[in-house]
Amino acid sequence: MPMTEADVRWVQEPKLGFWDQIYFPAMIDGLKTTVGHLFGRKITEQYPEQEPKLPPTYRGVHRLNRDAEGRVKCVACYMCATACPAHCIDIVAAPAPPEWAGREKYPETFVIDELRCIYCGMCEEACPVDAIELTTLYDLTGLSREQMVFDKEKLLSVFDTTTKAGTDPVRTQAGRLSVASEPPPG
Amino acid sequence: MPEFDPVYLAIVIVGLMGGVLGVVGYLTLAERKVSAWIQDRLGPNRVGPGGLLQPLADGGKFFLKEEVIPAHVDKVFYLLAPAVAVITSLLAIAVVPFGPTVAPPDPQPTVAAFEAAQAEYRNHFSFVMAPGLDVGVLYVFALGSLAVYGVILAGWSANNKYSLLGALRSSAQIISYEIPLGLSVLGVFLIVGSLNLEKITAWQADHRTWLVLVQPLAFLLFLVSAYAEGSRLPFDLPEAEQELVGGYHTEYSSMKLGLMLMAEYVHLVTAGFIVSILFWGGWGFFGLENLLTDPVGGAVLKAAILIGKMLVYCGFALLIRWTIPRFRFDQLMNIAWKVMIPLALLNLLCVMVVLQFGWPLVVLTGTSVLSFCGAGVLSVWLRGSVTNPKRPVRKLPPGLPAGVTYASR
Amino acid sequence: MPTVYVNDKPVEIGTGKLNCIQAAGLGGVLIPSYCWHEALTVVASCRMCLVEVGDRKPDGTVVMQPKVVPGCQTPVKDGTVIVTGEYDKRDPAAAALNYPADYTKGGKPGERAKKSQADTLEGLLINHPLDCPVCDKAGECKLQDFSYKYGRAETRMVDEKNTPPNKPALSSKITLFTDRCIMCTRCVRFTREISGTAELQVVGRAHHEEIDVFPGRPLENKLAGNVVDLCPVGALGSKDFLYKQRVWYLKTADGVCSRCSTGCSTYTDTNKDIVYRLRPRVNPEAQGHFMCDEGRYGYHFANSGERFVRPMVKTDGRFKPAPWTQVGAQLRQEVAAAVGQAAAGFAAVLSPFLTVEEAFLYASYFKRLAKEVPLVLGPVPVVGADDRYPKNVKGEPVEPTKFVIRAEKCPNRRGVEAVLMHFQGAVIPFADVVRDALPAMWFAGGYPVKEHVEEAFPADWKAPALLVAQDLFPTLLTASAKYILPATAAFEKEGTFVNHAGLAQSFPRAVRPPQEARTELQLAFDLLGRRGLAQPGAIRAELAAAVPFFAPLAGVVPQNGVKVG
Repeated sequence: MPMTEADVRWVQEPKLGFWDQIYFPAMIDGLKTTVGHLFGRKITEQYPEQEPKLPPTYRGVHRLNRDAEGRVKCVACYMCATACPAHCIDIVAAPAPPEWAGREKYPETFVIDELRCIYCGMCEEACPVDAIELTTLYDLTGLSREQMVFDKEKLLSVFDTTTKAGTDPVRTQAGRLSVASEPPPG
Repeated sequence: MPEFDPVYLAIVIVGLMGGVLGVVGYLTLAERKVSAWIQDRLGPNRVGPGGLLQPLADGGKFFLKEEVIPAHVDKVFYLLAPAVAVITSLLAIAVVPFGPTVAPPDPQPTVAAFEAAQAEYRNHFSFVMAPGLDVGVLYVFALGSLAVYGVILAGWSANNKYSLLGALRSSAQIISYEIPLGLSVLGVFLIVGSLNLEKITAWQADHRTWLVLVQPLAFLLFLVSAYAEGSRLPFDLPEAEQELVGGYHTEYSSMKLGLMLMAEYVHLVTAGFIVSILFWGGWGFFGLENLLTDPVGGAVLKAAILIGKMLVYCGFALLIRWTIPRFRFDQLMNIAWKVMIPLALLNLLCVMVVLQFGWPLVVLTGTSVLSFCGAGVLSVWLRGSVTNPKRPVRKLPPGLPAGVTYASR
Repeated sequence: MPTVYVNDKPVEIGTGKLNCIQAAGLGGVLIPSYCWHEALTVVASCRMCLVEVGDRKPDGTVVMQPKVVPGCQTPVKDGTVIVTGEYDKRDPAAAALNYPADYTKGGKPGERAKKSQADTLEGLLINHPLDCPVCDKAGECKLQDFSYKYGRAETRMVDEKNTPPNKPALSSKITLFTDRCIMCTRCVRFTREISGTAELQVVGRAHHEEIDVFPGRPLENKLAGNVVDLCPVGALGSKDFLYKQRVWYLKTADGVCSRCSTGCSTYTDTNKDIVYRLRPRVNPEAQGHFMCDEGRYGYHFANSGERFVRPMVKTDGRFKPAPWTQVGAQLRQEVAAAVGQAAAGFAAVLSPFLTVEEAFLYASYFKRLAKEVPLVLGPVPVVGADDRYPKNVKGEPVEPTKFVIRAEKCPNRRGVEAVLMHFQGAVIPFADVVRDALPAMWFAGGYPVKEHVEEAFPADWKAPALLVAQDLFPTLLTASAKYILPATAAFEKEGTFVNHAGLAQSFPRAVRPPQEARTELQLAFDLLGRRGLAQPGAIRAELAAAVPFFAPLAGVVPQNGVKVG
């Protein structure tokens, strides 16, 4: 879109007066600021002793949610893997076990490489069944690359621990297959 | 000090060097702490109580870092550069008094009298490595000029265009600021009549005044030039970490980098001593230095006063660092050549006139203030046409607001 | 020339008997449809192709029919006017027709068709479950595409959807997700008209209609896999492909089926160098719209773990892997020595699974070593007799034949024969040389079924002293070889096959050969002492120039192939 005349704001250097030219008032002003901060309140958080308070929208480690029966909620639709800009999600789908009523497809394996992940949260947005969520767990460490590759059991255990600890309650409660399958409002 | 005694001298040298390097170490901590506080942070506080052992950890880290010598460097000069930098900065300390001193004797009418005066002078203990050196400050300036070799060698030997450009930038700055640095203190030397730092201190003690009161403009110019010489912000164009590649020490790692950085802090300490002695009355503090009369206690008190003044200078450098933004390179050069050198010359002229006609020295305070304010008025009147001359401009195509122009190439 | 007006644009339709969908297609306008298929009869049951039609009189006046009609069932003639739901996106270059006032009074042209299509889609979606995330068709589903393009965004359905149970027992290869079916009956018509076996039918009425089979008569015929392709939604799923990959990950390359001499045109769907499925590519020159299950599911051999993936040399009675650089030099030396000793005793066997380019380079190599080297056509597997469709209830073929599964289970016998004829004026069948004890043999195989190789050797066969066996799988032959070279499947190479009718089809490479395997073309290229990478296109041009039989292959080979000979 070309700029119009009205969009352009012309800025000119301000004219400097005597006090500006001899520099001293400006310097004293500056020193006032710096010295003020020198003795001001510090905002540093002493991390290992002091835990940060994170907003519930913080994007930390993933988890795989369970449904009411404790089965993995994921239907292995690959939407998250498709949306993932870092290609860190690897899913192998399979027909659901016959005893899983109302389920046709489930993830046989579901692996997230937490080192490759950029924690953008696109997987959470893409998921049509709210099966994958990012928790507020931020202190993710491991001793090897292999440890940082989370499989389905690990991701489900993240769900168990975070819901039990109450740090991350299940945030979304959509219908069986997202809003599209629900009756329209009104 | 009876005669030349190598053992005694060695002890003084080792003690002073150790002291200076210790101060340098803790200056790095102070730098980080003050920076942190000004930014509302806490700064390093994990090593030792309140982070007091951080300099040791930093030093240890520098020693244990991988020693990388890039394949493309000119090895001899590459290794020589940090040595030159640190040696020249440390050598400058030699003539700088770090405690109470006695002025060396003036020339005497007879040889015998001179010998006696010399012998008497030697019997006093002086807190300086090389006492009685008549060229005093000149020696410091000379070594300060040599320091630029460290920079040039580092930039050239690295065979890297960023290092080379950084070195050119840096050497241009250091050489430019040496002129106002030297010119500004010429007045002090004329008033005192000596280059010897001990004599300058003694003059201030005798006249019960500080030279900063007589020569405020010279002090200001010296202060600014000294910061620029030491590459302190707002004159840290040589490094300018935020916007330029490391500068002349881009290719250095491990302890060689450590030496480069250390040399800068040694410069800061030296400059702190020089400023304290030239302008702030050395070990004198309005008679306070004479409170303790016993020789040892008095010496310690005087030394503490001098070192305290030096630390005030260093602390001011840390504060200034976060107060004034960095200059652009053309501004940097403009200030040196178009503002500070003329002002220093004007100040020198005033001193010469006052001394010639034997007017009281307080006149110099007035002339300093007047010439400073005059410079301010002049720059308002000239509207930067000297420091930032208008280049030929061309009108842009019609449709732009009146008066808006762009500089043509 | 008869002219039809599609959204005001005059389209010349030639002499063919076309319906509105085909005529609009000629004019570059897509009329969406589910139940209509070019190869099947018209039932006009899905109502997706509703259009407004009319007539343009010679004097320029236009008469429009008052209601929308199914485009698939409405033939066009000279002067027919078709107005589709996308009339507002018409070609602006075409001058608007002179629509009568009583027609435009009810709304702009195309609005009725558009509304009808949207309503049709709403009706189809009433009972269709929204389980696209778990549906294998998602991504290539006509219902998804058309709903997105022509449908409405929200459903107004407030009642429970019909969820009839799935029918995984429909067939051993095919499963039916009954609730996803939109009753287009393409699959039913296919089994009635193309395969003739008529296993599928519609049971129930109204919105309880379901596709089903008779109890105990599952959908088992050799063309059954086609119903999965025909299904416009995800109701019929191939068990072979089910949940293996999402379709948007697949990369599609054109291919030619190598499992019989019909040479069906295919699409090869691959991801990360693994073939996941084959689909038929419409090619009236080769096979038409469909392909048989033998070919469709016959790609698994390419992914098999049993394949040779690197050259091996027998040393001290055991096979040891060797690098190509070493093997290449050794081969050239030993073959030259063996040919030098007894050229007539060195049998160069070229299998009918090689492409014509590969056969040409191999033949050039062996004939350059010595004119007397006999070039032998490898074993030609023939299983039973040609299988013709449609069949009647007794399983007897019925005329007119719509699909043939050939008994000759190799893709390129005619091509290799033509190469051999060119080089030695005669084709030596494999049976002629296998009887004699030969001192040396080069067997360029590539047989996907190892029995086809082993059957060709008599029980008392004596292995030559120097046997270079190039094949996909371990067989009796490779066991007695001195050199084992990995062969490549048709998906892993670029080349040309000539089918039973002399139709030469060129196809690109779909996947890379596994691990250290190299194409036969590259090997022959190296043996000939040429440098660099073998370019199949350049070699094809060389072949077309050298062998008159292949002259039509000069230049770009059309997608549907070209007749040679």
